[in-house]
Amino acid sequence: MITAYKCKSCGQIMYPYHYRCINCGGREFESFVPSTKAKLLTYTVIEQLPWGFDERGRVLGVVEFSNKVRAMGLIDIDADTEEINIGMKLTATWEPVRDTYGEKIYGLVFRPA
Amino acid sequence: MKPVVMAGAGMIPFERRDDDTLIDMLAEAGLRAMDDAGLGDQPVDAVYVGNMASGLFNHQVSVASALVDKLSLYPAAAERIENGPASGGSAIKHGYQAIASGMADVVLVVGGEKMREVIGPRATDVVACMAQPEAEYIYGVSLPALAGMFARLYMKAYGITPEHLAQVAIKNHANGLLNPYAHIRARVTLEGILTHPDSKVGNPIVADPLRLYDCCPVSDGAAAVLLTTPEIAKKLSAKPAITVAGIGQATDTHALHERADPTDLKAVTIAAQKAFEMAGCKPADVDVAELHDAFTILEIAESEHAGFFKKGEGAKALAAGETQIGGKLPINPSGGLKARGHPVGATGVAQAVELVWQLRGEAGERQVKNAQTGFSLNFGGFGNNVVALVLRREK
Amino acid sequence: MRIDMELEAYLRPPDAPMPLYPAKVITLVTGGKMVVRQVFREDVPKLLPAVRPTLDIPRDYYDVVGARLYAELLAWQRYRYRDVFCIIGQVDGLLVGIVNSRMYSPQVGISLHTLAIERGLRVGAHLFAAKMEHHIEYLGQDEVLITAESPIGFRRWMIEYGLELREGQHELGGAAPYGLTREMYFDAKHRLVAGQRPVPPDLMEVAEREIIVASEQDIIEKILGARREIP
Ligand SMILES: CC(C)(COP(=O)(O)OP(=O)(O)OC[C@H]1O[C@@H](n2cnc3c(N)ncnc32)[C@H](O)[C@@H]1OP(=O)(O)O)[C@@H](O)C(=O)NCCC(=O)NCCS
Ligand SMILES: [Zn+2]
Repeated sequence: MITAYKCKSCGQIMYPYHYRCINCGGREFESFVPSTKAKLLTYTVIEQLPWGFDERGRVLGVVEFSNKVRAMGLIDIDADTEEINIGMKLTATWEPVRDTYGEKIYGLVFRPA
Repeated sequence: MKPVVMAGAGMIPFERRDDDTLIDMLAEAGLRAMDDAGLGDQPVDAVYVGNMASGLFNHQVSVASALVDKLSLYPAAAERIENGPASGGSAIKHGYQAIASGMADVVLVVGGEKMREVIGPRATDVVACMAQPEAEYIYGVSLPALAGMFARLYMKAYGITPEHLAQVAIKNHANGLLNPYAHIRARVTLEGILTHPDSKVGNPIVADPLRLYDCCPVSDGAAAVLLTTPEIAKKLSAKPAITVAGIGQATDTHALHERADPTDLKAVTIAAQKAFEMAGCKPADVDVAELHDAFTILEIAESEHAGFFKKGEGAKALAAGETQIGGKLPINPSGGLKARGHPVGATGVAQAVELVWQLRGEAGERQVKNAQTGFSLNFGGFGNNVVALVLRREK
Repeated sequence: MRIDMELEAYLRPPDAPMPLYPAKVITLVTGGKMVVRQVFREDVPKLLPAVRPTLDIPRDYYDVVGARLYAELLAWQRYRYRDVFCIIGQVDGLLVGIVNSRMYSPQVGISLHTLAIERGLRVGAHLFAAKMEHHIEYLGQDEVLITAESPIGFRRWMIEYGLELREGQHELGGAAPYGLTREMYFDAKHRLVAGQRPVPPDLMEVAEREIIVASEQDIIEKILGARREIP
């Protein structure tokens, strides 16, 4: 799972890591793991993927977890047949999201809750 | 700071240029700007090359030194400036600073990119490398995908419809047909790209809701301007001097999701404000604008964030024809990135070249009448590093 | 040259009965109307001048595709190629693209070539889709075998149609063959197959009156992009 950061001086939540707080410049953070519950803020269905993906119709979205962390991830939905809505509830897991010459790269995967 | 003028401007047609190397393209554009300024045999003090990814696209680095060599401009100082798709705008800024500070008298700024050396999906990958590596890139995000996620929110927030997006494409392709330097040479219609059922196939989704005709193409090309002091410019040629009146630049979070309001392009607002402040004028004084329509939605969003229209009014102005050539504020008379093409490092310089031609009255069929103040916006990353420019023809 | 029909009878392949491809019209992004229709042996002489200039264009393997298509058209015209069909696209009569294909067996089709003369308007993609449409919907075949000379076209088709790798070789002897099944075709149809039938009579009349072929220079410029000399 990803690690998120909360600024000890102003409470700003960040992901990914910054050396200085994006709000106050503070340098001390409390690290934590987002919950598994999230809601969808925006998404896209990509038909023309970059090199390295022999597929179409990959759905990516930006979510907000119940503890306010925001992140981008893969939405495991078949866009041709299933409905996607902004605001829909999702459950997060940590799974391979891309294969680079046989090497599995892990990332956030979301499915309808 | 000393005043700086654009004494020369030139570019080569944007297209797929299989037969030229990147350095050939830079050299050809550079020569055109030098000749346009009437530089003759006078020395160039410094060369700045705006280029995003020659290492990845062309397996060549140190391209500014290579350009100096091709043009035999030694011992001129030379650097490549990289700021993603805003590399061109940044290169102009560095050229400006060199002259304004008194460190140089004559500076050649060339922007160029040769993207078609690799096949489409590889180009998409190279461009995607500008996204946040661990939080965005690994998922297979492309620039059209980031723009798609942005568009979905922006359209909803401000009542922008697919028709509005199509109108940007139709206008810019029509303008592009008047520009002999433009890459895509087709007049598209609302029926063909939106309303006819066949448009679903002919104008397919790239990253929903954005379709092919909402995206700029992948192009090869180069553009150049010659910067100098007003005194030197006057000696070189009788062409009207175009003053670099204002430059503004601003950054924002790398990852789209870290912006408090992801529809707010803060870096655009701040860069434009800074440029206007430096130029001592306001958006209403602008006669012609070149915006960074890498995606149709961006032309509308930038026109609002830069201060030309209130939020939510940009699409209305577009629909009312205010942004056409002959309208109140013509936007992208060159055809913009949509039609002129977007060789990433070249774009910011090509925008300036178009403005120089417009302000001098040399833009031919696409001339905006009596343009005196021009504005351009070069959007780097997905809005995380933006350069704005105000150019002015002195009375 | 007189043909000895007795000998010829040994050499001419028998032609399997093939239902005709019903013409359709596709609206392009420009709003232009492209008539997509089947052409026959007797039309070959009108097509050859459009293919010939491509023989000298290495870009995107136009030369290889053009030379092969040229040979296939000739062989078909002179009864040396079996169970072939050919579909063209015309805008206001002007020939903008040619595709050809053949039946290997009643069940299996072989996609041969796709030549887009007008570029940037998805003419190639529309015509390729039309030939898949003919194989599956009108010839009633179960599968079409596909390969390509150009890596760009191939990757696009592979991903857009979700093609599957097949054993053995494609009859063109190039890269590995990929199969498009009936099921894949119908899954992709709504995204990839455009056009309306019947073609309005006025459009059909213009298309059938004459297959207009652009000049050699124009064809080269359309394919390579015109070099624009700007002072
Ligand atoms: C949208 C996109 C994926 C389409 O690519 P494609 O369909 O594979 O395009 P092809 O390479 O097959 O182009 C074939 C023809 O289609 C046309 N074409 C390509 N992209 C086009 C576009 N976006 N709009 C209009 N016509 C286009 C051109 O005429 C091109 O001819 P050319 O080879 O002479 O240039 C690609 O244009 C793209 O990735 N655009 C975005 C680039 C980007 O993100 N830039 C950075 C932004 S900051
Ligand atoms: Zn803080």
